[in-house]
Amino acid sequence: MKKIPIPIEENLGRGHLACAGCGAAIGMRLVLKALGERVVMVFPASCWSIIPGFWPYSSFRVTAIHAGFVTGGATASGIRAALDVKGDDETLVVVWGGDGGTFDIGLQALSGAAERNEDFIYICNDNEGYMNTGTQRSSATPLMAWTTTTPVAQPKENPKKDIMAIMADHQIPYAATATIAYPEDLLRKMEKAKGIRGTRFIHLLSPCPPGWRIPSEICVKISRLAVRSRVFPLYEIEKGRIYTLQEEKRVVPVKEYLKLQGRFGHLSNSQIEEIQRRVDESWDRLQRKARC
Amino acid sequence: MTKRMTFKSVSEMPEIPISMGFMDWNKTGTWRAQRPYYVDKTPPCSASCPVGNDIVSFIQKIAEEDLEGAWRVLREENPLPGVCGRVCFHPCESRCNRSFLDEPVAIHALERFVADDMELRKEKVKREIEKAKEKVAIIGSGPAGLSCAYHLARFHYPVTVFESFSLPGGMLRMGIPPYRLPREVLEREISLIESMGVEIRTGVTLGQNLDWEELKSFSAIFMATGAHLSRALGIPGEKRRGVFQGLEFLKKINSGKKVTLGERIGIIGGGNTAIDVARSVLRLGKKAIILYRRSKEEMPAFEEEISEALEEGVKIRYLVSPIQIHSRNGLKRVECLRMKLGEKDETGRRKPIPIPNSNFFIEVDSLIIAAGEEIEFSFFPKGWERREGILLTQRDGSIGVKGLFAGGDLTSLQRTVAHAIGSGKRAALAIDCYFKGRDSEETLRQILIGEGPSISIFRYLHPDERPMDSHIVRFEELNMDYFEQARRQKESKLPPKVRIKDFREVTSTLPSSLAIEEAGRCFSCGTCNGCETCYVFCPDASILKREGVFLREVDYEFCKGCGICFTECPRGAITLKEEAK
Repeated sequence: MKKIPIPIEENLGRGHLACAGCGAAIGMRLVLKALGERVVMVFPASCWSIIPGFWPYSSFRVTAIHAGFVTGGATASGIRAALDVKGDDETLVVVWGGDGGTFDIGLQALSGAAERNEDFIYICNDNEGYMNTGTQRSSATPLMAWTTTTPVAQPKENPKKDIMAIMADHQIPYAATATIAYPEDLLRKMEKAKGIRGTRFIHLLSPCPPGWRIPSEICVKISRLAVRSRVFPLYEIEKGRIYTLQEEKRVVPVKEYLKLQGRFGHLSNSQIEEIQRRVDESWDRLQRKARC
Repeated sequence: MTKRMTFKSVSEMPEIPISMGFMDWNKTGTWRAQRPYYVDKTPPCSASCPVGNDIVSFIQKIAEEDLEGAWRVLREENPLPGVCGRVCFHPCESRCNRSFLDEPVAIHALERFVADDMELRKEKVKREIEKAKEKVAIIGSGPAGLSCAYHLARFHYPVTVFESFSLPGGMLRMGIPPYRLPREVLEREISLIESMGVEIRTGVTLGQNLDWEELKSFSAIFMATGAHLSRALGIPGEKRRGVFQGLEFLKKINSGKKVTLGERIGIIGGGNTAIDVARSVLRLGKKAIILYRRSKEEMPAFEEEISEALEEGVKIRYLVSPIQIHSRNGLKRVECLRMKLGEKDETGRRKPIPIPNSNFFIEVDSLIIAAGEEIEFSFFPKGWERREGILLTQRDGSIGVKGLFAGGDLTSLQRTVAHAIGSGKRAALAIDCYFKGRDSEETLRQILIGEGPSISIFRYLHPDERPMDSHIVRFEELNMDYFEQARRQKESKLPPKVRIKDFREVTSTLPSSLAIEEAGRCFSCGTCNGCETCYVFCPDASILKREGVFLREVDYEFCKGCGICFTECPRGAITLKEEAK
C-alpha cells in the first residue's frame, strides 16, 4: 500500500489542549502542514481560542491572531490590506473559524469579505455545534440531532444550513468540502486553494468525540462514514458555478453513520428513514448542479 | 517567530498580548486512559506454513521492489523456494485473510517469482569458513535432508549428506515429474546448498555400502530416508507382469529409463502419485484412466493438479474398487465393484461402501497401482519406536537415542514437501541445541510461529528482532477501509494439447510487473509495514518515525490515548490496552 505523502513539518506543536481524538486537531495539523510557514492565521472565537494553550504560551509554530467572534472575515480583510501595503503578496492570510463563527455569528463579516472577493482562505471547521461551550446547537447542527439546547425530548427541528450554497452564490473563485478521513484530498484542496487569488472557502467536517457522543478512537471512521453515507459529500465549486462531485465507491445507508453516534441515539426507524430521504434528495440536487 | 522577545521598557511592549513560548511543557500523556502500542501479530499464512516462511515480510519486500531483500527473507527459513513455489500445496493461501475480500494472494506464485528472478542474477553465496568441530551426517537428500543440511551449515556445522541414488533430491527428483518441477530448478537450489560447504555423497545406501559403524564418526545423525515402498492393494493378480507400482514407475521415467507400456493405462488410487502417474502416462503418448474408490471431493490429491489432469485428458472413474486383476493375452481385465459413500471415517472423508453384486470389468493394457507409500524399516536398528507406519519422534525430531534425529516422510503421515522441509529445520535446531546443551523443547517454544508446529530460524538467530505475538490475525481485526477489491494474478499455463507433448513445465513464472501488483494485494496482517496511517491521523503528533527494529514508536509523553491509530491501522499492528491505574 502506498504511503500518504504529507509534509513532515509540524506547525501545530505538541502539548496543545484539544480533547483526546479531536477531529479538528487532526485537521489543523494537516492544514498547517499544507500551508507552510508564510501564513497568518486568524481565529475568531471557537475551540481554537482554547486549544493552542494559554497566555503566554501557544502551540502554533506560525503567526496566529485571535479575533472577536463576529470578526473572522473582517480581521482577515484588514490583515490582507496591511500586508498589501507592506508589499508582501506572498504571505497567506487564512481564517480558521468554527461553525458558530461561520454559519451563525461570523456570517455577516464573511459574506461582506466574500462579496468583495477579499484575498484569503477561509476554513470553516465544522463540528456541528458550539462544542467549546458545552454542546449547544448551531445552525450547522443536523436535523434531529441531540445537543444540550435541543434535548432528546425536543431534538433539532431544522435541517443544517447549506453554507456551501451560500458561499457559491457569492461567486467566489473556489469553495470545497473536505474531511479529515481523506487527508490526501484535503491536502490537494489546500494546495489548489493556495494557487488561487480571491476568497477561497473550505468546509471541513471535523467530528467532535464529546459533542457527538462517540468514542475518541472512531473519530476518523465517523468522518469517513459521513462521506460514504452522502451525509457530507466531497465536492468543489469553482466560480460559484462549476461543481465537481467526488463519487464515493462504497456507499452506505445513513443508518451506518447515525447508529454509532450518541447524539442520534434517540432516533426511531422512521426518523432515520426521513433523514435518508433528505440525504438522497440533497445528493440528487448536487448531482443536478454537477451536470449543469 | 520562534525567537524569544525581550523588552527594555513598558513602552516597547506590544499593544495586544502576545505569546512568548510553546506548550511543550504540557505533557498531555498524563491524560491517557488507554495506551496504544506496536506489536506484530502472527499472520494466518505464516501460521499455516509447514516450512515456517515469513510470508508477509517477503511479499512486502516485493511490493517495495526489493527482490534481493525478498530472496534473503525467504532463504532465512527455506533453502528451496523455487521448489516450494511450484510444488507446495500452499495451505497459506487457503488461510489468507484476503479471501474474505476477494481472492487469496497468489503466495506460491510470488515465492516462485523471487526464486526464479535470483537465478538471473546468479547470487554468490558466502561459504561458511569457520566450522564447528561437531560433524553431522544426514541420511537422505530429499527436502527434509536438504533443509536440515542447509540450516546446520548456517549454524557452521560440517555436514555430509548420504544419498542412495546417483543424484541428490530424493522424492523431489524421483517422485515429482519435471513438468511440475524442472530439474534445473532443483539442481540450482541444491547447488546453492552445496556452495555453503555441504557435502553430498551420492550412490551411498545405508545397510549396503554404508553401515552404522561408519556413521559413528559423526556427532549427530539426521535420518530422512522417506517413504518409498508402494502400498499393496491386497487383491489377487496384483503381482502379475504388466502391473506396475506407481512410485517405481515415476522413479523410472524421472531417471530417464524406458518403461514398456500398452496403449490404455489403468491407474488405481486418488493421491498425488496417481495423478502424477496419469499425467506422465499422457506425456508418453498413452491414454490414462484413474480408478478411485471414492468421489472427487474425497481425493487426497491437490485440487489444482486434479483439474490440470482432467484438462489434459486424464479420465477418472469414481466410486469403483478393483477386487481382482485378470490377465489374458497381455490384456488386463480389472474386476471392480461399484461403491457408494457412507458415513465419515477417521480421516473426515466419507467411507466407500461396496454395492453387492455390482461386479463389472474394465479392460486396460497395463495397470499401475498408486495406493500410497510406506516406509522401509528393514535397515533400522531394533528398538526404534514406530506406530501406524511411521517412526515416532519428539517435536524436535529426536527419537530417544542420543544424537539421533529423524524427519520427513519417515516420521509423518503429512507427506508433503513443505512438511519435510519444516521437519528438517526443526531437527537442525534440535541438533544445534543438543551440541550446545540447550533445552530444545524450550528453545522451540520460544520461536514457534503462532501455535506452531512451524518455527522461525530467523528469530532463533536474531532474538533482538521485532517480537511476534502468537495471536493469529483474524479478518475482522483488519481495517477494510484501506483496501479495495483487486483481481488475483494468475500464472499462465501452456494449453493442454501442448503440455502433453513432452515433460516441459506447465506453468510459467509471473512477469515482474504482475508480481509487484500481486504483492500489493497483501494486507500485511498484523505486521507494521510503515504505511504511516497512524502518523497521518495522530491529533497529537505523537507517532514518531524510527530507524531500526521498529518503524514507529508512540511518544507517551504526549499521546492522549485517543486510540485513532489503533482503529485506523489497516493491518492490526497496533494494540490498545487500558492504562494501569
